[in-house]
Amino acid sequence: MASMDNLREKIKSKRKALQASLAVSSEVTDTRGLVVEEIENGTRLENATIVEEIQNEDEQVENLKRTMKAQRQRRKKMLIDDVGLHPEGSIQEMNVITHRQRTLPSLPETTPRTSFAEYSMREKMREKLKAARSKAQSAIRQEEASAPARRLTRFKDQESVTRFDTEVDDDEMRRPRGDESPFPSSRVRFREIANKAKREAQDELPSAETTYNFFTFNFDPEPEETEAETIKEKQPETLPKIDQEEEEEEEHDEDGEESAVTKEVEEEEEEEDRPLVKDNGEDEDDYLFIIGQTARDFLVVKAPDYESYHSQRQKDRKFLFTPSILTVSTSEKVPENMQPRFLEDEGIYVGERPKVSKSNQNILENRLLKNEEGKKWFGSDGRIIALANPIKRTQTRPSMFSLHEKVDPAIETLYKKAEKSMYDNRYIAGSAELQGHFQLDIDVAGIAFTHHPMFSREHVLASKLSQLYDQYLFRQQKNLANLYSDKLCALRNAVKNITDDRHVKSSVAQRRLMEYKSEIRTIRRMCHMEQEKDWTLLKSLAKVWKDIKSLREFQKFTNTPIKLHLRRQEINRKADEISYECEIQTEVAELLEDYQEEYKNKMEEYKIKYEEWKAWRKAKKAKKKKNKSADEQQVDDAEESSIVEEFPKPDPPEQVDVLLIEQQVRATAARIRRKPGEPVLAPELSMTATVTPTSQCPRGEQLRRQDVQRSTLHTKVIFNNKEVSRTSSRTLASDFKVHFGQIFNVQIVNWPESIKIQIFETVGISTTKVEVFVPIPETSVLTGSVPIEEIEFSSDHRVMFDHEGVGSGVPFSFEADGSNKLTLLTSGKLACCVSWAVSEDGVPLVPPIFEQNIGIQSALKHMDAILSIGASGLTDTKKLAKWAAESRLDPNDPSNTALMQLIMSTTGEAQEKDFFRLEQLQEEFNFVSEDDFNKSKRFRLLQLRNEEVAEFHNYKQVPILDREISEKIFQEYEKKHREKDVVDMTSHLDPHRALVARFLQKVRDSVVSRFLLAKHHHVLSDMVVEEAVPSISMLGISLFKLTEPRRPLRPQRKERKKVTAQNLSDGDINLLVNIIRAYDIPIRKPIGSKLPLTSRSARSINETFSTSQMPQSPTQSHEWFTNQTSVRPFVEVSFQRTIRQTATAEGPNPNWNEELELPFRAPNGNYSTANLQSVTDEVFINVFDEVIYDVLEDDRERGSGVHTRIERHWLGAVQIPFSTIYSQSRLDGTFRINTPPVLLGYSKERNLSSERGWEAVRSLSEGSYLSLFITIEPHLVPGESANEKFETQEDEKLLQRAEKFQKEVKQKFPNRRCVTLATDLTGKLVFVTRFINPLFPPQELLDAFPNDLEATTELVARYVSLMPFLPDSISFAGICDLWCTSDQFLNLLAGDEEEHAVLLCNYFLAMGKKAWLMIGTAIPEGPTAYVLTYEQKQYVIWNSTTGQYYGQFDAFCPLQSVSCLVSADNVWFNMQKYDTVTRIHFDTSKSNFWKPFFSRSFPFPGLSSVQPEELVYRRTDKAAAVELQDKIEKILKEKIMEWRPRHPTRWNRYCTSTLRQFLPKLELSNGAEVGIDHCAELQSLLGDYRISGFPINLSFSELRPIVEAVHSTGVHNTVIPHVEFALAVYVHPYPNNVLSVWIYVASLVRNR
Amino acid sequence: METVYRFPPEKRMAEVHIIGQIVGASGFPQNSLFCKWGLQAGCAWKLLSGLKDGQTQVDNPVIKDMAYWSHPIDIHYATKGLQGWPKLYIQVWHQDSFGRNELYGYGFCHIPSSPGTHEIQCVTWRPLGTWQEQLSQMFVGGGPQLKHSDLIYTGADRYRLQTVAMGKVHLQLSIILRNFDQYGVEY
Repeated sequence: MASMDNLREKIKSKRKALQASLAVSSEVTDTRGLVVEEIENGTRLENATIVEEIQNEDEQVENLKRTMKAQRQRRKKMLIDDVGLHPEGSIQEMNVITHRQRTLPSLPETTPRTSFAEYSMREKMREKLKAARSKAQSAIRQEEASAPARRLTRFKDQESVTRFDTEVDDDEMRRPRGDESPFPSSRVRFREIANKAKREAQDELPSAETTYNFFTFNFDPEPEETEAETIKEKQPETLPKIDQEEEEEEEHDEDGEESAVTKEVEEEEEEEDRPLVKDNGEDEDDYLFIIGQTARDFLVVKAPDYESYHSQRQKDRKFLFTPSILTVSTSEKVPENMQPRFLEDEGIYVGERPKVSKSNQNILENRLLKNEEGKKWFGSDGRIIALANPIKRTQTRPSMFSLHEKVDPAIETLYKKAEKSMYDNRYIAGSAELQGHFQLDIDVAGIAFTHHPMFSREHVLASKLSQLYDQYLFRQQKNLANLYSDKLCALRNAVKNITDDRHVKSSVAQRRLMEYKSEIRTIRRMCHMEQEKDWTLLKSLAKVWKDIKSLREFQKFTNTPIKLHLRRQEINRKADEISYECEIQTEVAELLEDYQEEYKNKMEEYKIKYEEWKAWRKAKKAKKKKNKSADEQQVDDAEESSIVEEFPKPDPPEQVDVLLIEQQVRATAARIRRKPGEPVLAPELSMTATVTPTSQCPRGEQLRRQDVQRSTLHTKVIFNNKEVSRTSSRTLASDFKVHFGQIFNVQIVNWPESIKIQIFETVGISTTKVEVFVPIPETSVLTGSVPIEEIEFSSDHRVMFDHEGVGSGVPFSFEADGSNKLTLLTSGKLACCVSWAVSEDGVPLVPPIFEQNIGIQSALKHMDAILSIGASGLTDTKKLAKWAAESRLDPNDPSNTALMQLIMSTTGEAQEKDFFRLEQLQEEFNFVSEDDFNKSKRFRLLQLRNEEVAEFHNYKQVPILDREISEKIFQEYEKKHREKDVVDMTSHLDPHRALVARFLQKVRDSVVSRFLLAKHHHVLSDMVVEEAVPSISMLGISLFKLTEPRRPLRPQRKERKKVTAQNLSDGDINLLVNIIRAYDIPIRKPIGSKLPLTSRSARSINETFSTSQMPQSPTQSHEWFTNQTSVRPFVEVSFQRTIRQTATAEGPNPNWNEELELPFRAPNGNYSTANLQSVTDEVFINVFDEVIYDVLEDDRERGSGVHTRIERHWLGAVQIPFSTIYSQSRLDGTFRINTPPVLLGYSKERNLSSERGWEAVRSLSEGSYLSLFITIEPHLVPGESANEKFETQEDEKLLQRAEKFQKEVKQKFPNRRCVTLATDLTGKLVFVTRFINPLFPPQELLDAFPNDLEATTELVARYVSLMPFLPDSISFAGICDLWCTSDQFLNLLAGDEEEHAVLLCNYFLAMGKKAWLMIGTAIPEGPTAYVLTYEQKQYVIWNSTTGQYYGQFDAFCPLQSVSCLVSADNVWFNMQKYDTVTRIHFDTSKSNFWKPFFSRSFPFPGLSSVQPEELVYRRTDKAAAVELQDKIEKILKEKIMEWRPRHPTRWNRYCTSTLRQFLPKLELSNGAEVGIDHCAELQSLLGDYRISGFPINLSFSELRPIVEAVHSTGVHNTVIPHVEFALAVYVHPYPNNVLSVWIYVASLVRNR
Repeated sequence: METVYRFPPEKRMAEVHIIGQIVGASGFPQNSLFCKWGLQAGCAWKLLSGLKDGQTQVDNPVIKDMAYWSHPIDIHYATKGLQGWPKLYIQVWHQDSFGRNELYGYGFCHIPSSPGTHEIQCVTWRPLGTWQEQLSQMFVGGGPQLKHSDLIYTGADRYRLQTVAMGKVHLQLSIILRNFDQYGVEY
């Protein structure tokens, strides 16, 4: 009780203080209150620190401020109430009691046990209070009456707080205060609310209503009953209730403090009204306090509050609104005076609504309607606006399968057996990791032929009929015509709506109107189209049926059970007519409207024009008047008027005729629609007709039926070109349908590349094969969920029968007279389906990631969302979007959703919020924006380098700063990317060639990228170089070698060490060219001397190869030789613009024996094998004659000085591509120098006096030769061609045989190349004999020399040689040889030796020659293909790329060895000891000389050719050739002037025109030497000029080689003053755009 | 009047070079180990060059029990944010005397974020499996593996997995950071 007293005293003191403040002013303002509180706070603060030990002082202050604020407000109240409640003390007191409560929670009335801390605090308080008491004792006395009331409230308060904090101990009590600042204030407030509640509790029991009021803070001023006794009794019961309220209130407060604060303000106002009542209460309180301080005094026992349900309902009804569940009528929901509009009926797609129960929907509707703007929730159809049902029918997320039931699939583990990883990368990566094997289920259901060779005529018609009927059913199902007409109706209604809506005259409505109208027009057109189609279909159905009937009648038997009924459906004639008429009228009206609009527009236009015209006329008149007055301006006016004179008088537009339109409409309607009132025809196909039994049929038909019965079918399933299984044989049914119904489960380890089903049909012994490719299923296609698809197939196999069967690919006719021939090919439908299997436990056996790119597989496979989803789609989405916009797709239609989504995602329309972000805060924390990040040039460069993009692959050092990287670096790359599809016309001059170049570039790119991928696969030997450990035998040999006598004069050839290319850098590689000697260099011609003319043009092959040569007069030559300056040749080798030259030698057979060293630089400094292989540079070896002219002007100086000028005259050149040198590592041999057919000033006379020994051998080969040895230092390892297994369509047996054959011969002759399979342009292996097939050369070549077979042969060879040459090694670096078929070759107009040889061989075969393709090696090409022909008991070897031919015993034949011969039906391998041409026996019938591929043990299976049956040649446009000729000439002239920057370049026109006339003659003579005549001619024409020059002949591919060729001759290098030039170009067109380009360059110097 | 032309300050992107090697593994019950590794980085990271996953050779040490791979790692990343700092994840495999491969351990470690050379030891673990699986593992090899190997580094529910500790993988990584100071990242 001591504490009680203390408290009382304390309160008293506080009250005193308050009273003091009250004394100052009765109207306490906030600021004043604050001041007062400041004083009080002093004491309180101290107490607080002791009791609560608040750690953070700042927070404390803050807390205090808040409490102060609350108190202030409360104090206001209290002051008004005249209560003078003192809250400050309460906080402390409450805490004190809290402690007490904790120890004795249930009994508030028991004497509290105080802790030491509390005690001390109390002591302090007491001291303070004493002081205060002494100050204002009197005041306390006065107010003492109210104090007990305070007391009571405090206690209640304490109770509540205690309850609230029962579980919380001291520390926890403190913590919230320290941690979260809002807590104290809320507590204060809560206390205050508690106070209020308590006050009410004093007054009466809190009913439900008051509770409600309590929460909503709508305190009504109510008179308080004051019954001290009841309070005393009731209190205990009330308390829990209050507590409850408080607790709730507490939560409430924490949620929304601010609202509470505002509410408090309201409370203040309310409570202002009840001071009187309070006064009474006060007295009571006072009384209470005085009477008893036991617990009973404060507690009241109350019965639990109850309110009857009914009254509750009654009350609820006042406040709550319960929407009814009755249906709302539609009229309430749509805006007034509006009919509900159903979009669905108007043909606009409306999605399926989500399912909502009717009652719920009604409730919602009722509720919405109560709202103010409730109606906006309803659509025009009077239903709540709803999105379409979002639930998808199909599952889009891959389901996770768990083997164990409880385990979370994410952390599931899987027991794996330890397995050898035997699969390489071509196999499914991770197949060992996951389920092991994967399975494809291939279901071959059956085959239905739509045409079969054994079809009778009736069958043909029947299948046509059933197809038509299918089409009819399909159309019927789609019912497009109706759809369109419905849509038309809807649109018309819409237009009507708009036009009816008078007040909506906005531009939007106008525009929409326009749109609708245009749409109506298109829809009408489409509707007509569909109707017409339907109608014609119906008509043709009827027609075919009629045909069948007549046929059956004609042939007197029935073959097919097919029968067509046309069901008539009578309709109401009148109604139909009316609707028909109505339709026509609307259409006419619409059309009329359209026309009228058009007319109006025109009229307006006309009016404007007319006004203009009028104005102009007026002006003219005015001008005329003016003219009269002012004549001086006449000239100007005349001009003006002449301009304006042409202003025509506009014509008014014509009015349209209604009748005409109607006529038109009726005409179309009659054409495309059923006439009104006619019955509707519905065809019905049935199989009810009886088939005539076989015995009653004529003989032909009987035979046919027998044949049908005899034929059996089976299919093979080919997976990745391997047969995996086959179906059993089934006989063909009479309806030409076969049912297999077999399902093959194919367990796979390889990636599926192709699935093919081969259908074999066997009739007797003959078998025909048809192949059907089945697409590889997507990973989501699983067994059980896929319907069987029908895949169409057809075959162009020709079949003919002597019975009723119509055959296939054979024309036949239904007519008796055989007209109207029809050719049908075997075709049918294969019903099958391929899907991924599902294992027993429901796991799909699908490879984890089904990607096409099987190159680099990451070693760790993890779930990659993008990869598994796969990005397949249409490529050009922009176009698609455009199309979609134009075609007005209905974006709501589900059939268009995929398309629309695609368009949306690309055009970025609805992209904004349509994704879900995984890393939410990524954006906020980014350093830089995405754009900046991607813009970085440095990063781009680094990435491109890393990706091994050709341009950047060898970019060694990337600058460290962005600004150091110039934009130009990417320009070319981007340009290349952009212009991939743009044909560059400028550099090609010829559109066709430009296209070809582009195509070739594409092929090359794809091949190269494939190769790049293949390059990343390494084998052990690539990585590990292991020197073999010397064995005993090796040791023995080396020991034996030591004892060998040394022979220094016979040096042993040491193998050069091979260097792998990657460690090399610039300057490491040199090209060594050893020029040994030359033969038969043309010699200078003495000026003015007459030469013996020996005509060579009329040679025959016979003559040429006869060993007896034409004797030449030695005397003449000898005489000629003696007075001849001969020639001083030297050789210049240029490679990559480095030029080296030998010393000058003397005579036509010079001997240099010099080694020239040329540095080699790889492009981009990339010395990788692949790059070296693709180097396209060529080594030019030019032979020049060094001519020395004496230029001494003055004879007197001759004794003292030598003044000469050296001129070099080009004699010829040898070009060797670097790729050849690289792939062969050395070139050694004698090469023919390409000399021009005419060398002005030089003659090709043979020097007979020297080297007689060689003469016999060489005499026939005309031309100069050069002995060379070329190699690369250091020895580079040539790249090996990637041994990729290409897919093939060849028979498995054949492939095996080929492999065996190659292995066998390789063992015997490892150096001889055996070609059995070649890769075609699509990358498939094809047996070589398939390339050989007689093909006719262009007719005009054959016609050129009708009687001379040899000349024709030569011409053909020349034609082939004119096809531009492009080695595969350049285009497909290191991949392999690709063989084109001849038509591809003619299309591409570029190919290497194989293509040329194949084409030539095919031509020769067509010309009736015996010809073979000869595989061997030649110089300088290396492995190559030539053509061998057998004519007149001689074998002739043709070089197809040059058009040259050689006899078998020609010593200068570039063909060095022969390893294979290929004909159309066999391949022979050279089994002879020697392979040089001269020592070979060419008789292929001797199998010990030539090993045949197809022999008796393995006969030729009759491989069909891959070549076309005949080649189609395009005629070359002569005009284009002339144009090209002019272009080339112009460009070359410019180039020559460009190359002579310091000298004037004069053109001698006379000479040029002479040369131009001469060039066609050269072409006609096949480049043979008609030169001598020509020389004489020229000489006579230009007698006083010294001419040096020559014609060059090239095949045209592009401009660059032409320019290069002219440049390499060095004609422009002449520096003689007053030199003149002549340049003539002639382009001779051959068929198929093959062009022969002749360029004649000459320099002329006037003789003094 | 004088006009001063100034280049706009260049945006320098942050770059990270990770150069080093997977030295080897120790503490595994058997030798003859090889390792599959990969780097996983957030979407703000862009791989500029280098391979971000790979596989080492099998090392079968005759003496001592540490398997050495010395497998080089050289990766260049650019980043536009710190989130998703790259992690290196590792699978250690054992090749037994029959040439069969079985999983020996999973592990991952963060790429160090401070420049300089770091010696990292990455501890590994292996799923334990049921007792049947353990038994069969004892006799016929093989063993439970994670179905989704991204669990190695995501670690969403890994604590529920019963695992056994395996050996350590030793890594030597040198980190070069560039331009991080531009964005106020200190290290």
